[in-house]
Amino acid sequence: MAEPSKGSLLQFAPFQSTVDEGFWHRLCSLKLDKLGIDDSPIPITGFYAPSSRSEVPNHLTLIAESLPSESSEQSAVPTMTQGNRNRCSVPGILYNTNTIESFRALDKMSLLKAEAKKIWEDIHTGKAVEDSAVLSRFLLISFADLKKWSFHYWFAFPALMLDPPATLVDLRSASQWFSLEEAESVSAACNTWRNSSSTADVPFFLVSVDSNSNATVKHLKDWETCHRDNNKLLFGFYDPYHLPNNPGWPLRNFLAFISARWDLKSVRFFCYRENRGFADMALSLVGEALISVPQGWKDHQSVPNAVGWELSKGRKLSRHISLASSMDPTRLAVSAA
Amino acid sequence: MVLTQKLHEAFKGTVERITGPRTVSAFKEKGVLSVSEFIVAGDNLVSKCPTWSWESGEPSKRKPYLPTEKQYLITRNVPCLRRAASVEEEYEAAGGEVLLDNEDNDGWLATHGKPNDKSAEEENLPSMECLEISKNKDVKSIPSYFGGDDEEDIPDMADYEEPDNIIENDPASLPTYRVVHEPDDDNILRTRTYDVSITYDKYYQTPRVWLTGYDESRMLLQPELVLEDVSQDHARKTVTIEDHPHLPGKHASVHPCRHGAVMKKIIDVLMSRGVEPEVDKYLFLFLKFVASVIPTIEYDYTMDFDLGSSSN
Repeated sequence: MAEPSKGSLLQFAPFQSTVDEGFWHRLCSLKLDKLGIDDSPIPITGFYAPSSRSEVPNHLTLIAESLPSESSEQSAVPTMTQGNRNRCSVPGILYNTNTIESFRALDKMSLLKAEAKKIWEDIHTGKAVEDSAVLSRFLLISFADLKKWSFHYWFAFPALMLDPPATLVDLRSASQWFSLEEAESVSAACNTWRNSSSTADVPFFLVSVDSNSNATVKHLKDWETCHRDNNKLLFGFYDPYHLPNNPGWPLRNFLAFISARWDLKSVRFFCYRENRGFADMALSLVGEALISVPQGWKDHQSVPNAVGWELSKGRKLSRHISLASSMDPTRLAVSAA
Repeated sequence: MVLTQKLHEAFKGTVERITGPRTVSAFKEKGVLSVSEFIVAGDNLVSKCPTWSWESGEPSKRKPYLPTEKQYLITRNVPCLRRAASVEEEYEAAGGEVLLDNEDNDGWLATHGKPNDKSAEEENLPSMECLEISKNKDVKSIPSYFGGDDEEDIPDMADYEEPDNIIENDPASLPTYRVVHEPDDDNILRTRTYDVSITYDKYYQTPRVWLTGYDESRMLLQPELVLEDVSQDHARKTVTIEDHPHLPGKHASVHPCRHGAVMKKIIDVLMSRGVEPEVDKYLFLFLKFVASVIPTIEYDYTMDFDLGSSSN
């Protein structure tokens, strides 16, 4: 990978998905006991956290609790675990089809567009300022073959495209970008943010550093008050990616949001990463991106183009998993004998 | 599953149903934990190593003697860069430390290669319920779930590649396939990731570790393949594949039948060095011991506290 040079194209590392076995188990019981042949889309919740190891990226993870509970009659909305620092919620939607043919016939282009439109609307209504979690969304299409305990699925992480794309002026590790005092104060402020149950799972935020090197982490809604003082102001987000040359996927919609809402041409961003659960300034990045306001951006009715279907081993393919060995009662009976 | 193991599980289940959970501390005397001590130790682990969290798991599987929101501990996406089996081969070839596993040296290391004490090995196998894996000395390469044996009658999804609207065609998307930090310079991707969970085993009154593995493309691993990441001494003896008490499916687990005895020994060593062991440190000691069973799965368990050892 080439070192980012002045004015180079800003490239984002895509989100990657992981699906826990429990998710498929609960989907099967939901399908059998509750949904039947109803294939209307289901709101689900994915979870992610900032990168916490330098070896691997963090993934968007689906677990049993990502789906609505089987027993809950009152609501179809999954119960959220508020304030779990290792589980920042990402709103998603599941299109589970009844046949492999209808799975293949899904219009992926328009489904992705529909999700991008939700993000775009949340940016313009101001919902994203109040609840920044809606800036990252995901889409899952699947076909669950309940007779064979086999699942075909494909994730998309819709990202609004800036046109022309953002360019990168500068990208460094946060420990190089900040002074020693500033870095310590930013670390401490981020750890406090991550340890408080009211903010631990708020993935987009502001970092303000005053002339005495004191850092504070603030909510996005405080931007109006923050940008007038003379402090250094950075747009921070929980970065699931782990390598030093690129920011992770959530920054894409964040930049679109910053550009659309506050009309900034130059954005200083902060990719927040951890090492073993604590703020790590050597792994975190600070960069500066230049955005030229895209054509038609002011027109709220025209949704920008979006990308985001996940690749499987570098190819444009759906994934397949067979859980027959753990779900098939006849096989279980044989192995238990 | 072997018959003896099934019998033992039925027995264990019955005992668990009719006996109450431990309430009196026997941490120093027996190396075991009461339910409230497990919660205390778990709270301390979560606060010192925040990559661990408490979970409540499947509602239908919740244990009434544990708080709803503190049923078990989990840390997700733990990297495992190399297979334990291949690391051990290299290490032993270099005359390095190996695990001693007999009555007096549970989980401790010998520093001068493998002892030539093969005859003693057989009689020191732990009790019957741990033996399932011993029948299969070699870990065979079983195809992962991905592209499993149901594949034939499913239309070839390779025809399904689509030209538009996919990440690849966007200049601002980094092609990430195979972008990981790996120690080797060949092109074989070895980085697996693990979800490591700790449950409370009411029968043995100790914590119990469970492993859920994902391959390099983040697809679920068959539990049998997880054995490649277990120290080969233990893969044949103490790591079994069983139902997880809180999660669906079969998972690999370090069998707890010797945990109390091992922890008692560790506690005795600490006390003989004049260190008073505190029960909230139990899981740190425990995870340090478990690291000898799964040496290449790099979960967090370190903290700053005095083990009372001058040789460490």
